[in-house]
This record gives sequence, C-alpha cells and structure tokens, in this order.
Amino acid sequence: MQKVLVVDDEEVLRMLITDTLEDLEDVEIYTAENGEDALEKLEADTYDLVILDYMMPKMTGIEVLGQVDDEKKKNTPFLMLTAKAQEMDRNRAIEAGVRYFMPKPFSPLELLQVVEGILK
Amino acid sequence: MTKVNRFGSTSLKNRYFRIIASVFALIILCGMAFFLYINKEQEKLNNDRDTLHKKTQTINQLSDNLNEIFLRARGFIALKNENELMLLNQALHDFDGVLKDYSQLTLSAEESKYRDDLKAFFTEYKYTLLPRALKLAEEGNYEALRSTSGGGTTAKVNEFLDYTKGYQKRADTALNEMAKNSIHKANEFTVVAFLFSTAILFLFTLLVWRILRNLIVPILKLEEATHSLAAGEQILLGTLHQKDEIGRLYNAFLDMAHSIQDKEEELMMQNEELHAQQDELHDQQHRLQRSLNEIESMMKALDQSAAVGILSAKGVFTYANDNLSSYTGYRNSEIIGYTYKLFEMPDMLEHDMQQMYRKLKSGGVWTHEIGLQTKSGATTWLNLTIVPYLNSEGTIYQYILIASDITSLKSVQQELALTLKATEQTKTMLELNNQLNHDISYTLNKNEFTEKFLHFMNRLYSFDSSFFLLTKDTIYAAKGIPQDRIERYVESSCSEMLHRLQTESSYVIKRPATEAEQGIAPDQMYCYDFYTKVVNAEDEILAVFCGSRIGLSFSDEELNEVQGLMNRVSLAIERLFMYEEIEHARKLNQDIVNNVNEGIQFVDTEGTMLHANKALCQMTDYSRWTEGGHESKDEWMAHFMQAANESNDICGFFQKALGEEAAESASMRYSIGTESVKHIDVYAIPVFRRDARIGTLFVHRDITREYELDLMKSELVSTVSHELRTPLSSVLGFTELLLARTMKPEKQLKYLETIHKEAKRLTELINDFLDLQRMESGKQQYTTESANLSEIVLGVLDQYKLGSHNVLLVDEAFNSEVEVDRDKIIQVLTNLLSNAIKFSPDSNEVNVHLHNEEDRIVVRIQDHGLGIPKDQIGHLFQKFRRVDNSASKRIGGTGLGLAICKEIIDKQKGEIGIESVEGKGTTVWFSLPNLYSEHKQYEEDGGRWNPDKEVKPNVMIVEDDYSLSLLLSEELKGKGFRVTHHYHPQKAFDQALKTPFVAIVIDLMLGDELDGWDLIRMLKEDQRTETIPLVISSALDKSDKNALNNVIQTYLTKPYPPGELSQTLEEIVKIRQASGEVLFPDNSPEKEEDKS
Repeated sequence: MQKVLVVDDEEVLRMLITDTLEDLEDVEIYTAENGEDALEKLEADTYDLVILDYMMPKMTGIEVLGQVDDEKKKNTPFLMLTAKAQEMDRNRAIEAGVRYFMPKPFSPLELLQVVEGILK
Repeated sequence: MTKVNRFGSTSLKNRYFRIIASVFALIILCGMAFFLYINKEQEKLNNDRDTLHKKTQTINQLSDNLNEIFLRARGFIALKNENELMLLNQALHDFDGVLKDYSQLTLSAEESKYRDDLKAFFTEYKYTLLPRALKLAEEGNYEALRSTSGGGTTAKVNEFLDYTKGYQKRADTALNEMAKNSIHKANEFTVVAFLFSTAILFLFTLLVWRILRNLIVPILKLEEATHSLAAGEQILLGTLHQKDEIGRLYNAFLDMAHSIQDKEEELMMQNEELHAQQDELHDQQHRLQRSLNEIESMMKALDQSAAVGILSAKGVFTYANDNLSSYTGYRNSEIIGYTYKLFEMPDMLEHDMQQMYRKLKSGGVWTHEIGLQTKSGATTWLNLTIVPYLNSEGTIYQYILIASDITSLKSVQQELALTLKATEQTKTMLELNNQLNHDISYTLNKNEFTEKFLHFMNRLYSFDSSFFLLTKDTIYAAKGIPQDRIERYVESSCSEMLHRLQTESSYVIKRPATEAEQGIAPDQMYCYDFYTKVVNAEDEILAVFCGSRIGLSFSDEELNEVQGLMNRVSLAIERLFMYEEIEHARKLNQDIVNNVNEGIQFVDTEGTMLHANKALCQMTDYSRWTEGGHESKDEWMAHFMQAANESNDICGFFQKALGEEAAESASMRYSIGTESVKHIDVYAIPVFRRDARIGTLFVHRDITREYELDLMKSELVSTVSHELRTPLSSVLGFTELLLARTMKPEKQLKYLETIHKEAKRLTELINDFLDLQRMESGKQQYTTESANLSEIVLGVLDQYKLGSHNVLLVDEAFNSEVEVDRDKIIQVLTNLLSNAIKFSPDSNEVNVHLHNEEDRIVVRIQDHGLGIPKDQIGHLFQKFRRVDNSASKRIGGTGLGLAICKEIIDKQKGEIGIESVEGKGTTVWFSLPNLYSEHKQYEEDGGRWNPDKEVKPNVMIVEDDYSLSLLLSEELKGKGFRVTHHYHPQKAFDQALKTPFVAIVIDLMLGDELDGWDLIRMLKEDQRTETIPLVISSALDKSDKNALNNVIQTYLTKPYPPGELSQTLEEIVKIRQASGEVLFPDNSPEKEEDKS
C-alpha cells in the first residue's frame, strides 16, 4: 500500500483530488486541511507523495516545507499545487524542496497521470 | 656691637678673668682639702700612740701591784705582821683600781681576754684563796697552806707576769711600727704635693698660651694687612667671626681699609674723568677750529650764491658783497655807509615790518619774501633772511642780511596759481558730471532717478524752480513749485508744453516775475522759463524738463550744454525702461517656474546650482535652498545623496548628466523617505546657447501616485489571478471528472452542486470588481429611501443566525431612521460581517452595536480575531489592499470589500473607520446621518458614546422572527431599555450567564433542535439564572402549559400590542426596585467589553 497525503485548505479541492486519485490501486489517501495538520501527519508517518497547496491558512506550503527536515524532504516527493503560477513563485517553491509543480487550475486527469508516474 | 655683647662672653677681659678666677678657686680648694687630710692623719697617729702608752703603763702597774700583793701576802704569811696585811689590803685595793682603769681603755680581743682572766683570778684570789690562805696562816697550818699555794696560784701569777712582760715588748714593737708608718705617709704626702703643684703649673701654662694665641694671631694678621694696605695692595682678609675686642678691632680695621680703598678708587675715577674732560676739551677745540673753517668756506659759498650784507646795530650797511649790488643795481660804495632804507620795498606792508622788528629785537631770525625796487626801478623778488648778532650782554651789535634772487620763481608761482584755479573749476564740473553719470547708470528706481537728475540740474544751473517728468509713467520730481500746481499740470498731461515740444527741441519764455517771485526786489524782474525734452532714437518724447530762473537769462552755451545732457539722459531713461521690462519678464518666469508642480533645477557647467524652484525644495525636503540661491555642486549633491534612498544611483546619474559628453537627455527614478515614500522621476536636459553648453536642466517630477497605482495594479493582477484560479480549479476539475468518468447520480449531483457554488463565487468576485469599477467611474446609481437602520441590521444578522459565529446585537439606538440606499447598506453590512467572521477564525463571537451620537447613528461591528497591524490600518480602505501577513494571506478575498464599503458609505454622507489591536481584534464602525434629528433621552458625553455612563436595564429578546423582534425592540428602546437579540436558545443562555438581565422575553417556538421550553428549563435549572423573570411571547395558547405558571412571570399570547410587553417589563422593574433588588445591569468595564 502506498500512501499519499493531500494538503489543501479548500474542502472542495481536497474532495476533487481525493476523488481523482481514488481509482489508483494500492494507494491510500490521507488529507490535511492546514499546514500544522500536515506537519503533524508528516512527523508521525512516512508518505510516498505529498500534494501540497501553496495558499493555506496560517502557513503557506513553502512555510510547511521549511519546517520539514531535510532527510524527509529528500525521501518524500512533494508536488505543489498553486494558483501562483508565475516564474518567481515556481523558483521559490523549487528552492524550498518541491520536486513537482502543477499550476491551478489543473486537470485532474493530468494530475492522476503525474501521480501515477511518481508512485511507480 | 650691642651692650650685651660687650659685657657678655664676647669680652676678652671678662672671659679670661673668669677662667683665672675659677682655676685659682680650684687650687685653693684642693690645697685646703689636702691640708685637712694630713692634719687628721697626724692626730689619729698621736692618739694611737697615747693609747698604747697608757695601756703599757697600766699593765706595768698591774704587774707591779700583783707582785706587791704576792710579796705582802707572803710577807704576812711568813711574818704575820699586821702591817704587812694592811699593806696587802692596800695593794689589793690599788690593783682593783688599776684594773678598773684598764677596763675603761679600748681593748683588743686578746687584751680583753687577758683582763677577764685577770679579773677572774683576782676575784678568786681575793675572796677565796687569800682569805683561806690567811686563815690557814693564822691557824698555822702551813702544810695546807703550801698545798694551797702550790695548787696553781703561783703558776697563774707567774703566767700573768709573763704576759705583762710580753705585752710590754709587743707594745714597743707596735710603737716602732707606728713611727715607721708615719714616716712613710709623710713621704707620700710630699709626692702628692709635688704632683699637685706640677698640675697647677701646667694649667697656667695652657691658659697663658691660649690667651696669647687669641691675641697674637689676629694682631699678626692685622699687621700683615696694614703692610699690604700701606703697599697699596688688595687686602685679602676674610671676615673674622670673633665678637670680642679683637674681633671688633679687626672689623673696624677692615672697614677702615675698605673705606680707604673706596676713596682711593673714587679719586682714581675722578682723575680719569678729569682726563676725559681734558680730552673732550681738546676735541671741542678741534671741532671749533673745523667749524670755523667750515663757516669760512660757507661764507665763501654764500658770497658766491647769495647777496650778503652786514648792518650795524643802527641799520647802517657795513658790508655788502657783489651779489647784493648786482641784485639791487647799486654799487658797493653806494650801499656801504647807508641805512637799509636805501632800498624801497613797495610790497612790504607796515604789519610785516612791525613783525620783523619784533622778531629781530627778540634775537630771532627773520625770513621773508620781499619785492625790492632796484636802482633802475624794476622789482626784484628776494628771499631775505636777517640774522641779528648778539654780544655777551645780549644786546644786538650787528645784523647779517642774506638774500637770494627768486624773481623767476615768483613769476612761475603766480602762473601756477592761475592754472590751478582753472583746473579746480574744471574738476568740480567733471565731478558733477561723473556724479550724474554714476547716478543715471546705477539708479534703477525711476523716482530716485528723477530726483537725482533734478538735483543735478539745479546745482549746475541754479534754477529757482524746476520740474522733471517721465511722460510714460507720469513719474516726476519738482523743486520750488507748489504741489497742487504740479498735480494740476501733470493731470492735464502738460498738453500745451508737449504740443510745443513736438516741434521744437527746446524753448525759453521770458515773462514778468509774479509777485511772489518779485519778492523784495525793487526793480521789475523777469523770469526765464526754459522747456526742453528727452527723446529716444525714434524721436518719441520720454521726458520733459522745465526750469525757471528769476532775473537770470540763459546763455547759448548753457542751452547747448543742457541739450547735450538731455541726450545722455535719454539713454539712461531707455535703460531704465528696459530694466523694468526685463525685471517684469524675469518675475513672470520665476512665478511660472515656481508654480509648476515639477521640481526644476538649473546647474551650470561647473556644477554650481544656479536655480532651484520651490517645488523642488518641497519635493526633496530641502529647506536651505532659497529662491535663486547658488549652491556648490558638493552641497546640493550631498543633499540628494542623503535624501534619496538610491544615493549611489542618483549620484551617478547627476555626474553623468553633468558630464560634457552627455549631449542627450536622460532620466531616472529615485525615492525619498522611508515611511511615506515619495517616488520621483528626474530627467536631465543639457542646455545650449549658440551651440555652447551653458549648463544642465534637471526636472524632478513626483510620480508617487502613478507609482503606487502601478504597484496596486500589479498586486491586483496577482490577487485576481489567485482568487480566480481557485474556484476555476474546482469548476474545471469536477467538470473534467464528470466528463471522463461514469459515476453514481448522487455523486454527479454533488459535483454539479460544487461546480455551481464555485461558479457563483467566481461571479461574486467579478461582481465586486465591476461594482467598484462602476462606483469609481461615478456611474453607480443610488436609490435612496427612508429606512430603519435597526431593521436593516436585524435583517442582515438574520442570515448569520445559523453560522459558525455567534453574532450578537446590542441595539441602543433610539433614533434609527436614515435615508439610504437599502441594498447598498445591506451590502456594506454583509461585507463587514463577513470580514469580521473571516478574520476571527479562533473566536466564535462577533458583536454588533448600534447607538446614536448627535444626529447620527453609529454601527460598530467588533470581532475578536487577528487584528490589523497599526501601520496598515490607514491603507485598508484603499483598493486591492489586504493585510499583508502570513496569518491573513490564507484568508481569501479580493481586497476590494472595504473599498466598496467606503465608497458606499461616503456616497450616503456617512463616515467609516477602523480601530484595531493586532492579535486582539478589530472594530469597524460606520455612521450615517439620521433622517430626523431628535434628542431624546440621549445623554451627551463629550460628543462620544460612552458605555460606562449608560445605566439602562438590560432586556433580552429570544425570537426567531426578526420583524417581530424588531417591533418589540423598538418599543422597549423607546421605554429606555437596552435590548439584546438572540435567535438560538443555547446562545441566549450563554448570553444570560454573561449579562445580568432584568427580564428575558422568550418565544416558545424557536429552531429545530431546541425550543423556548428548553431555554426556560436551562435558565431555571442554573442557579445563576433562575431568578431572572421570564416573559413568554408565544402564539400558543397559554392554558396548555399551566404547569409552568409558577416559573413564568407573564405570558403574552401573540399577537399582542408591543405596549403590553413594555408595560409588563416596567412593572417587573418596579416590583424589583420595591423589593430592594438591584436591577440595573452590571456595567463594569470588562463585562462591557464582552458585549459591545
């Protein structure tokens, strides 16, 4: 069983992502609705993929990454979803340790493909 | 030397007398002691010898007596002669006496023993042996007698006798010894006496030697000194520190010697002086000789160069040299023997003669230039010096007369004087002209100019009255003309004069003097009025001049001169006009430059700033720059570098722009300030004049507004893109899923609902933009109507009653009638409430408070959320502004809400504001003007609402029908209650725990979960709220719930008139007051904080 953590403050988007990925076999999906929640979950468990939103309450996705230790960042692929689609934002995310990047609005089927590719 | 010294130890006589006296006393004392000692020794020796002698005698007597005793005893015994017995007794008696004497002598131990033995023997013999022997003898018992005497008595007696003999011998020896001793002692004494005398002798010798030394050494020194003194040598004597006679003598001698030496030196000096004087006398003699020679040669020279004559005391010539005769024309022989009066001196005044006599009489030398008539009658000028010669008595015995010919000099002098006078006149003239030139060249003020010119003319031509007028400006100056006449004249534009001057350059009018002008002159006087004009190159009249002289006509020369002056003045006047025009143009330019919004700065090629306008000073906060003030390159550059945030860039820009190769214009942007940043665009243009670069013009433009607008626009793009992308993600995503997958109808529905909701959100967002756009462009239409604000607020709040936050309304407004656009106000309220809820994620309470303030109603919406940093509060009503921190970033929004609110409230003549403490919460308030101004019950408190002062009874209405709720609250507020609204029973209960209510009005039919009955139960079960009177307001019939009668104060069945409720509540208050309960709500500050 592979584990995927979806971090997004918008319930609608969490639902969209979860529903998109539900067809994947042997994949369990976990959700977190804010940065703190996500950090707690990352601390407690190891995930095969983290889908992270940038604009979130209390902590942005980048701020979350800043608090994840380097070891974990190296072993866990992070995919960032963001409405901030400009070049500058993208660079900042990559600097923070994001390996995959997907601008909003995104195509769920494309996301599915990317996730499948990562998990293989 | 003082008296004390003379009589003290310092006197030689006294000192030595004392020493000698003490030595003498010592000798006498020692001698006497010695003599006494010898005497005593001799006496002792004599005594010893006597004692020894006596002892020897006594012992001899004792021995004799003893022998006699035995002789007699034997005699008696043998002879029995009574006589013998008598003699025996006599001998015994004698012996006893002698023994007694012996005992009295001082005895040695041996002698004492001998005496005691003798005594014992004698006693035994006398009283024991002798009587027994006598008795025996009487009895004739010779046998016994013999034994008795043989029994030792005889031996003893013999022993005694032997001792006596021995003693005698010893005594002799002792005597001999004694004699020897005394001889020995006498020898010793002799030695001592000899030593003593030697010591005395030595002492005397010492004394004498000392005296001699003290006396002789100084005397010898003195002698030596005397010799040297006599030899005239330097006396090398130190001071003698003796204070005695010798010392004094010595010092006195020294003083004497010194004074002698001093005297000698003085004499030597006097001698030298005398020598010097003698030398000097010699010198003087030499000098005199030389002077004499000099005088002789001088006399010779004088004879050659000047006329010399000698007069006797009586004034008769006794000598005259050749010069004198050549000067005067008289021969020597014609002069000598005649008095000085021979020469006539026609120019010589009596006064000068007197002076000469006085001077000469007093022995003084008289010198004077005199004109003398020669024999031929011509005048010759002489510089004459007369020297009187005085004899030893001080009387004049002759005069020497020396004269030199100065005739040619004199004539030159006279010529010179004439020339000088002419020059002086020319100089005055020139000075005046110069003054005029100066005045007309440097005077830029027209009034001053006319005054100065008039003054000049008057001085030059002595006008009695004059007038000078600049025709263009009617500026004039006048002298000697009454003011009213001038004014009249000027008013009529001097038409007559101007008319005539059009054709003539000048004219003179001769007229009889008026009475005033005539004055005291006896003859008929004429006045000469002179008129002339100043024209420019185009022959236009610039100025006119008229001057009047009484009784003095104008010469042609004067008229020509004046005409010349007028031509000069014309140039000056033209220059004056030109200057004024330039000045005017300059001021205009200055005003233009100073009043443009752009900062303008002109810098010359050296880098010196020649001009900076006001706008630039204001823009760059430079107070030191004054209008037109010059500043060196370093100074103004330093200011810019200090003021601008990009100091290096701006420095580089200026340097480059000022550089010679910078031929084209350049520009850059910089900013000033840190808190309120000013953005400035500056461009530089090189300025050329006739192809030569004369400097650089910098134009600074404040572009803060444009800059901020740019910034806002880019922010907007970013925000909008983010805000639009999130709902778009949902819409696109779910649509894609719906299209790509087959799924259950429920799920499809759910997806479709989500899509719909998100699409609506997008629409709202777009509407917001459009709203604001419309409002900003002024196209928004407002349809105002009279409305009740309390009602509107309740209506909006109604939408939030099921939300996550507990929205509490405290309505204290007694006058809530306003004239507004209802929909817009609802939009504002919705917006503010949404914000309050959105920005307080950690709290669940939002308070809305209504109250009146003067003629306005104020709505305050308070949350306990994130709050806003102080520095950002000011920006919040600007478009696209959102609180910029990580905590608020997560909360979506267009950043347009507050801007829209402000726009709406502004348009309704209202005000809006924010108070906030970061981390504690935010209060947004807005106020609207009341439709009718009423002052009912309202307590004015410094113009501001103060909750602490409010002491109104609190009432809570728990009612879900907001129109009824409003109706009731209006009624209660009118009666002075403070009304709190609630919809939800649980929330109402929580509120009841917080706020002390006088009563709670409850509707029984409330929500789905809990109804009015549940609330009543909760209130009654809690100890804290059980005593609060409850009023039921219900559509249900009362009879059904009789069971609750005991806990319910009043039961009102809907519909009932609102007055009934207020009446009921007032009654409750009255009852409570009567029972002494405190009914007024606890308005302590912290509780108040919770509510408002």
